[in-house]
Amino acid sequence: MIDRLLSLLSFSQGASYVEARYQSRIMTEINYINGDLDKIRIVEHAGCGIRTLVAGCWGFSSTSDMSTSALRSSLEQAILAARVIARSKKNKVKGLADSKMARGHFTLKANGKLSDVDIEQKIKVAREAEKIARKHSAVIKTASCTYREILDHKLIVNTDGAEVEIHDSKPEFSVVAVAKKSGESATAHEGIGITGGWNDLFRTKSTLDYGTLAAERAAKLVEAKHAKGERATVILDPGMVGLLSHEAIGHTVEADFVLSGSIAKDKIGTKVASDLVTLVDSGCSELADNAAGTIIVDDEGVMAGRTAIIEDGVLKSFLHNRESAMIFETSPTGNARAFQYDDDPLIRMRNTFIEPRSDKLDEMIKETRHGYLVKGARNGQADANGEFMFGAEEAYLVENGEIKALMRGASISGNAFEVLRSVDMVGNRFQYDIGTGYCGKYQPAKVDGGGPHIRCSAVVGGLQ
Amino acid sequence: MQDLVAYAIKEAEAQGADEAEAYGASTAESEVFVENNDIKQAKTQQLASMGIRVILNGSLGFYSMNRLTKDSIKNAVSMAIKIARASPKDRYNSLPGSSKKVPTLRGVYDKAAESFGASDAAVIAAEMLESAKSYDSRVSVDGANFSAARGTHILANSRGTKLAEKLSTFSWTIMGMAIENGDVSSFDFQSGVSHSVKGIDVRETAREFAETVIGSLGPRKIESFRGEMLLTPSAANELVQEVISHSINSDAVQKKSSHFAQKLGKKVSTELLTIEDDGTNIEGLAASSFDREGVAHRRNIVIEKGVLKRFLYNTYTARKAGVRTTGNAGGSTGSPPSVSTSNFIVKEGKSNLHTLVSEMKKGILVSRFSGNVNPINGDFSGVVKGGKLVEGGTIRSAVKEVMVAGNVFEALKNLSGISKERKVIFDSILPYMRFDNISFTGG
Repeated sequence: MIDRLLSLLSFSQGASYVEARYQSRIMTEINYINGDLDKIRIVEHAGCGIRTLVAGCWGFSSTSDMSTSALRSSLEQAILAARVIARSKKNKVKGLADSKMARGHFTLKANGKLSDVDIEQKIKVAREAEKIARKHSAVIKTASCTYREILDHKLIVNTDGAEVEIHDSKPEFSVVAVAKKSGESATAHEGIGITGGWNDLFRTKSTLDYGTLAAERAAKLVEAKHAKGERATVILDPGMVGLLSHEAIGHTVEADFVLSGSIAKDKIGTKVASDLVTLVDSGCSELADNAAGTIIVDDEGVMAGRTAIIEDGVLKSFLHNRESAMIFETSPTGNARAFQYDDDPLIRMRNTFIEPRSDKLDEMIKETRHGYLVKGARNGQADANGEFMFGAEEAYLVENGEIKALMRGASISGNAFEVLRSVDMVGNRFQYDIGTGYCGKYQPAKVDGGGPHIRCSAVVGGLQ
Repeated sequence: MQDLVAYAIKEAEAQGADEAEAYGASTAESEVFVENNDIKQAKTQQLASMGIRVILNGSLGFYSMNRLTKDSIKNAVSMAIKIARASPKDRYNSLPGSSKKVPTLRGVYDKAAESFGASDAAVIAAEMLESAKSYDSRVSVDGANFSAARGTHILANSRGTKLAEKLSTFSWTIMGMAIENGDVSSFDFQSGVSHSVKGIDVRETAREFAETVIGSLGPRKIESFRGEMLLTPSAANELVQEVISHSINSDAVQKKSSHFAQKLGKKVSTELLTIEDDGTNIEGLAASSFDREGVAHRRNIVIEKGVLKRFLYNTYTARKAGVRTTGNAGGSTGSPPSVSTSNFIVKEGKSNLHTLVSEMKKGILVSRFSGNVNPINGDFSGVVKGGKLVEGGTIRSAVKEVMVAGNVFEALKNLSGISKERKVIFDSILPYMRFDNISFTGG
């Protein structure tokens, strides 16, 4: 197959750059709800995406037909697509920044090949975890469990010399429990999403642990009061730190966002956060294994290593593809990612996190007079002006150095950089914890994030 | 494609399936993207895919793929059967009865779409960008797209149903902010949709986007207060539509996650609210003759003058409830049929927008809501985007970083106004909606 793609590149008349990406994806999804198998499906999605740069204009075309003639005609379409925007495009692409193009075969580490585990076993873990959550106690009214795996085989070639074959395996497992009591209801999630194999997925917790933890939490939350809205000291757990790093900072430093005027625009080299903050985005699984956003090589054939966005409080780098790196006269950072073959590569994050320091969680709590310990990252959003908002499943009130009542349904908001400037303690234990999530930006992307616990100041929202 | 769909059914029966369904879709699409105030890229693609559902001894199997050869279909069928054998039996698994007489819906396919190519899409995308930029030089278009798609969806099953329909869809979005001397406005997002070439109106969408972002420049901080909330159609889509769509879904009712489960025939809102689901309304993106199982789309009144009238069903959930499907099987070729709204339509009110604003004592006009909405219990909590303070019936100023929290079901009991003006947002048709007694937290 790779030979067919390589020979296709020689037909790139008139194009200054051609890239062909074959991707065969097999996604399996199993979902149990309330004792019933709610959904089971396998979806195969395979084909080739071709991107061309013609006279400074991008064109893209895709086909699921991998015959030589279909590929040839798809390439022609991609060249034509680039030509149709030539008249209206004002700023032509000046070129693509040089980078050592990756070559070779990359298989992401997986202990226990997912394709060796039969479908019966995958159904069984989902059934059992859902059941243990549902049967946990009388207040648990509904429970569900989802097992999902994405197996990718990718080939990436381009006219600048990339020649890459990648095998990737990303499973995820999550349980949701809903508790109801005297007219109130509360939802709790417990899950994991990784790059790795079957044994990696269930290394730290068993299938049943996930069910039990979700149910226990939902049962506790249904008794909890809503947090009241106020600006307060907050201690964020690793998942929340991951979400803050991704949503509130990460998006503002994606070079395409920067070019359209994000708040980070003129801030390279300036102090944007507390000295304690070093914030990184990496295509490798730094500091801990199996991070879900691990890619090794990006979809433009660039090696996807560690990029320090903020180092000791100073903004150091944006996240680039080859086009934006050319504009900013820097090196690409390996952030060009496409979700499937028929998506074109965009600047996306990978594993985004704050590096650990020396503080212990106990001390952070002890040194907090009034605040919240916030756990359980839920979905979030951020604006180009740095304003962000995201949800937290649990918020524990901290009074005079001690954890008090559990509050629920809280949202955390603020201005990203203001919040990072307020960081005064950074924990010593690192963890990835948002691997079940997908980031949305025209197309989904599997990402991860994490960090140690950190202490900062933000607006905690709730009912008045 | 029609032959391959028929082949899938024959093959499934030959391999031992009791019942089988194949749903195929083929689409030709041209799309042009705008990024950072300039045309970015054009994209053309041919997509074809098929989803095969088999039922074997009451168990369900599903496999979907986009390599459409007889060999790959044969393999997909055997995988679907393998999944069915590994899956538990469920006596409600069933296909709908034969639907040979599905009325053809007019207005969802425009022949002019056949000659509409990537170069036409490029011209219109450029027009949309130009309209937003020429409205005011402070407008920054972060991203936009214009897509022209035409295709066919085909459904066949072992009960003799054979349906095929051509669809054409033009859709566009524009998003970004306004920038003035370091002041970056709230982000805004607007969209439009049409099934015909004549219905394409990117200028109006661009104008509304530009007006919203310019209007949210120079925001002021405000103190916390309790007051009225006037949602734009976009904000109503984010806040209200999602919660109600979930609650009227029979699947959620059966899974005990619908707040409306015990409320049929009861008041769930003030009398101002009437909602229908209508897959035959050709203004909406979801318009087509038949649903994901081949059942004819129809108009279903869900909430009438505040009273909950019915839930939405597909064949599976209808059988479980002992009722008839409402034609609400949803989903693509990549999933077995789910239950979903088709076009979610809130009936227009009697007042115009101007009147709704002039009646407000103190409240906030919310352009967009960014935050969490729990569709199960209705709790919402998030940030008001492009918010404007309204006092004494007049819009005063843009507001900064206001959080809003509450409960959608409670809010529906305080629904105090619905506008005559409505907007089509993909598959929703929504008015401005005003609620009393909402809690806002200043930054």
